[in-house]
Amino acid sequence: MCHTVYAVHYMTPGTDNHELFENLRLELRRGSLILAVLAALRKEHYGYTLRKTLGDLGVAIDEGTLYPLLRRLESQGLLLSEWREEDKRNKRFYRLSSDGKVILKRLLAEWQSINSSLDGIV
Amino acid sequence: MNLLDRYLNAVAKGLPEAQREDIIRELSEDIRSEMEDKEAELRRPLTEAEQQAILKRRGNPAFLAARFRQDHRSVAFGPQLIGPVLFPFYIKVLSFNLGLTFIIIGTIFFTLCISGQNITLHAIFSSVFLQLLIQLSAVTLIFSLIQRHLNKYPDSWNLGGMGDGVHVDLKFASDMKLAKRTDRQVSRFESVSIIVASAVALVWLAEVRRHPFLIFGPAAYFLQLAPIWARMYGPIVFLTSLGIVRAVINLFRPRWTRLRTLVSLVLEAASLAILCFLLKAGSWVTVVESAGSHSAGIAAPLNLSTRASSTVC
Repeated sequence: MCHTVYAVHYMTPGTDNHELFENLRLELRRGSLILAVLAALRKEHYGYTLRKTLGDLGVAIDEGTLYPLLRRLESQGLLLSEWREEDKRNKRFYRLSSDGKVILKRLLAEWQSINSSLDGIV
Repeated sequence: MNLLDRYLNAVAKGLPEAQREDIIRELSEDIRSEMEDKEAELRRPLTEAEQQAILKRRGNPAFLAARFRQDHRSVAFGPQLIGPVLFPFYIKVLSFNLGLTFIIIGTIFFTLCISGQNITLHAIFSSVFLQLLIQLSAVTLIFSLIQRHLNKYPDSWNLGGMGDGVHVDLKFASDMKLAKRTDRQVSRFESVSIIVASAVALVWLAEVRRHPFLIFGPAAYFLQLAPIWARMYGPIVFLTSLGIVRAVINLFRPRWTRLRTLVSLVLEAASLAILCFLLKAGSWVTVVESAGSHSAGIAAPLNLSTRASSTVC
């Protein structure tokens, strides 16, 4: 009983522990987002459709996170981008580069290995 | 300029110049796509309130712009005082202020040197150090207060009002309908700014009487304020205090605008009257009695130039 009361207090928004949880959650999410973005970009997307696709699949990502991430991945050579007209508007389309494909394959293998290890631990 | 353009302009102000255009094009496309999706869903054009709601969900433009910057420096003495969102603006303001101050100090020392005054290295260093300390403390304090406000009310901004920027408001305007009403109320941000600036001005006014060095720098060895300032000191302090009282009332009652306009008119009329007295007095600066005869020639052109610049203003 005492433990339950403590747990409720522990996670109340606005407390320091809530902030700590949020920071850890963001840290946990950060790596997964990179994986999700790389995997989604096996098919070509522009920013908005990529955000929608990820959101529909349960990986919500705001534009303040997505666009800087896309730029970073592109500068690391994992993505290719080009401005192209679609529906009478210029859009920037992203897709995985050949280096990106190799890295994604390795990252997925790593993620699966971590996942199965974690399954054993928790 | 529509709401989207105003929002993008506000984001652009905080972006790195080299990537600004590219990022804004991409963000613009993203927001337009979302708006079109919403219009397709509703089968009608979006109202202004609906457009505002979409932009509001995207968050404070200053925070959004900061996410695109590589520079994540901040100022911290123990707890963080100025975060990465405000840091570039802090550096810009500080550099501008310090640059201007050092140009003024340099000009004063140069004038002193060519007028034959004995300038010691100690005098140069002490005045440079004092100005550095004053500017650093004042600018850091102001930005720390803004940062505190941003931390406390990250969603407290709106796209209402005039101009092409986004107005940061101390009130939490989660309901975007509030944005339109802000035209008839004074933002708490403005009130706090007036209180802080006026309080600093009052302290400075009090200190300048005792330490002319604060206004003349090293020239205080042979220059002093003319007697007209002693006569005007009381009215200037009174008007500054009245400005603080007005801002304090607005801080707690932002909708107190009708009487505020009247008080503002009184303040402006009184300020004009003071300026007239000062202009009529002619001489704003005099030479200290103990100063040598070679200093007498400096006060006259100084009075002439300040009078001329005040008349032009």
